Amino acid sequence: MRRLSDLPEDTPARIRALRTPPLLRRRLLALGVRPGAEVRVVRRAPLGDPMEIAVGDTLIAIRHAEAAGVELEE
Amino acid sequence: MGCPECQGAVATALRTDGTRVVTVGNPNTGKTTLINALAGSNLKVGNWPGTTVDRLEAQLRLPGGTVRLVDLPGAYSLNPTTPEEALAARELLAHPPDVVVNVVDAGNLERNLHLTLELAELGLPMVVALNLMDEAEAKGYTLDPAALERALGVPVVPLVASRGRGTDELLAALERARVPELRLRYPGELDRAAVRLAERIRHPAGRWIALALLAGEEVPIELDGELLELARQLRGELERVGIDPYLEIENARYVRAHELAQDALLGSEPRLTLTDRVDRWVLHPLLGGPIFLLGMLLAFRFTFLFSTPWVDFIGAVQEVLAGWIAALPLPPLVASFFADGLVGGVGTVISFAPVLFFLYVALAFLETSGFLARAAFIADKMMLLAGLPGRAFIPLILGFGCNVPAVYSTRILTGRFDRLRVGLAIPFMSCSARLVVFTLFAAVFFPRHAAWVVFGLYLLGMVVGLLTAWLLGRAAGQPASSGLMELPPYRLPTMQVVLKQAWARTRSFLEGAGGPILLAVLFVWLLLNLPPGDLEGSLYARVAGWLAPLFAPLGIGDWRLLGALIPGFVAKEVVVGTLAVSYLGAEPTAALGLAQGLGQILATFWASLLTTLGAVPALFGLPQLAPPPPDAPTALQAALRASVAPAAALAYMVYVLLYTPCVATVTALKNEFGRFWAAVAVVYELILAWVLAWGVYRLALLWLGG
Repeated sequence: MRRLSDLPEDTPARIRALRTPPLLRRRLLALGVRPGAEVRVVRRAPLGDPMEIAVGDTLIAIRHAEAAGVELEE
Repeated sequence: MGCPECQGAVATALRTDGTRVVTVGNPNTGKTTLINALAGSNLKVGNWPGTTVDRLEAQLRLPGGTVRLVDLPGAYSLNPTTPEEALAARELLAHPPDVVVNVVDAGNLERNLHLTLELAELGLPMVVALNLMDEAEAKGYTLDPAALERALGVPVVPLVASRGRGTDELLAALERARVPELRLRYPGELDRAAVRLAERIRHPAGRWIALALLAGEEVPIELDGELLELARQLRGELERVGIDPYLEIENARYVRAHELAQDALLGSEPRLTLTDRVDRWVLHPLLGGPIFLLGMLLAFRFTFLFSTPWVDFIGAVQEVLAGWIAALPLPPLVASFFADGLVGGVGTVISFAPVLFFLYVALAFLETSGFLARAAFIADKMMLLAGLPGRAFIPLILGFGCNVPAVYSTRILTGRFDRLRVGLAIPFMSCSARLVVFTLFAAVFFPRHAAWVVFGLYLLGMVVGLLTAWLLGRAAGQPASSGLMELPPYRLPTMQVVLKQAWARTRSFLEGAGGPILLAVLFVWLLLNLPPGDLEGSLYARVAGWLAPLFAPLGIGDWRLLGALIPGFVAKEVVVGTLAVSYLGAEPTAALGLAQGLGQILATFWASLLTTLGAVPALFGLPQLAPPPPDAPTALQAALRASVAPAAALAYMVYVLLYTPCVATVTALKNEFGRFWAAVAVVYELILAWVLAWGVYRLALLWLGG
């Protein structure tokens, strides 16, 4: 299973499912992180965590542990 | 779904006075700039009743009549994840406005239109303000507002609010506001359930409410139990056939938002934006950290360089007033009541204003410019150690300046529980008022290691604060808070709004906390002056005497040291002044003539103004790393050295660092989190301060000897 947390930088991928706790899922959906959307890792923070992702025109900060729940298509 | 009646209603509504128009939109869509551009000098900034959420409002004179424009807090969705979003949803449903102006970021259509589709289900007349057209263009997007207008069935007005472009067209379009024609279809079973449920709801937003109920959401209006039961039943049926209503609804909205955005997009040649270029440096793997620290330092220095001259000015005015009172033929006790009690109390209240005002300006700049989100991004990993989101860094850092605005700034956090945890941690951040006490004691007892002692105290406060937040999170069994947030594009804030907001917040603090602070000052005055005569025979000395056994284990027995802790509740810097009075006796206030006093006030005003202007270059100069030299009289230093041992002095400093937040901070905590938590903070800190001071005393005894 591919996870967003393992995605290398600047490699677009498509989201398959959100396997996260309900509250986090709501927040992700509110920001546009949803199944079917294309996602790209822009960079990781200087301390390695969190990372910055781009979904559509939105830039989002997400922690490694949170990104582990975002499943990507193969 | 046409709604001819509603449309007719709008047309007449706009011709009657008092039409209510609200602006709704995602965070960071330039809503504030837009309402400022529409309202100009009519803009009023305040709070939503019962909350500390900013409320922007304006009366607009239009050809059809006067319109009341209210800005709702930014929301990604009407299914709330933050208190601000909940407020926006509640306003829309419980007090439906006459017209909704949906502010949309033209450079981020798809995500913004998701909210538009939700709003379309509220059955309210609507206009779409397609803002930030310039940014969309810079991103390489060519948009067709007319296509969007056709698809939604409501007026769509392109705008660049920051330059006032399109605002007249938007005001004119208010007359054409209509209930959106677009009706979003959901997958078969879900849509049927929604229709069945909506039929039973007597509210213009019936469809939205039905869908929210099916998604398992709480709806912020009263609904009867039968309806809720039906909703539960229908949701159960959907889940049994493998439909996740929440996800399906969100998905359908996003798919449609995507289509709408695609249809409105004429061309796209992606270009590197300003944000991309700036982020390359600000979030650089090596330079990111230093830039972040530099930015924080700059914000901090801005606040204190600009506010200190005005705090000094207020102090000077106080002195002059005291001098005038001394010149009056009054009995000493009465004169002291006016000079020290009333003038001192009001002065204490007002001297908060400059610090708060400039801190709020700095904070608003950090927030609206987009820098705050980057700072949180960089600090997130450190904050995660305490189970807090990266944004928690900002209130904690501000706490080193003054705990009061720090407590109010917790509202930049999304979760209510995170706000509380950070709010309870803030009083441990050693504010600049406590520094005055530390520098005095460190200079007396540890002259060769003064800087290290002060640094150690700061560190101790920080560790205790973070541990408090962490333990509270652990005790509540909450999972580590989320680090999820948008990194908004860099933008210049609208100065006018920033200043108005800062002033509104400062004023609301003065109104709320002015009374309690004044009362506290008067109470302390009573203790010090009753019964009249020697300080040693006063109530103050007596109360301090009662405290003595309690502090014996810390090695502090001198009533003068213990007594000074009481006025410390009013403001920590008062500790030093009170010590000076109780060790050395009060200096008589010199009587001042009217002209003399006025001359002094004018002179200090001029000096403060010059210092403020001079602070602009100093802002970029090198920071002073050494603590400022203590300005306490050396006689006080000698008296202190004679009265306590170094180990006890260290315990005293630790106690002053950690014991009860000052009355202004307590009021701020009460305003943000309620009476209960403010009381918890006071009790918890009094106990913790004693325990840690005792521990430090025992350790110090081993180290330094009695």
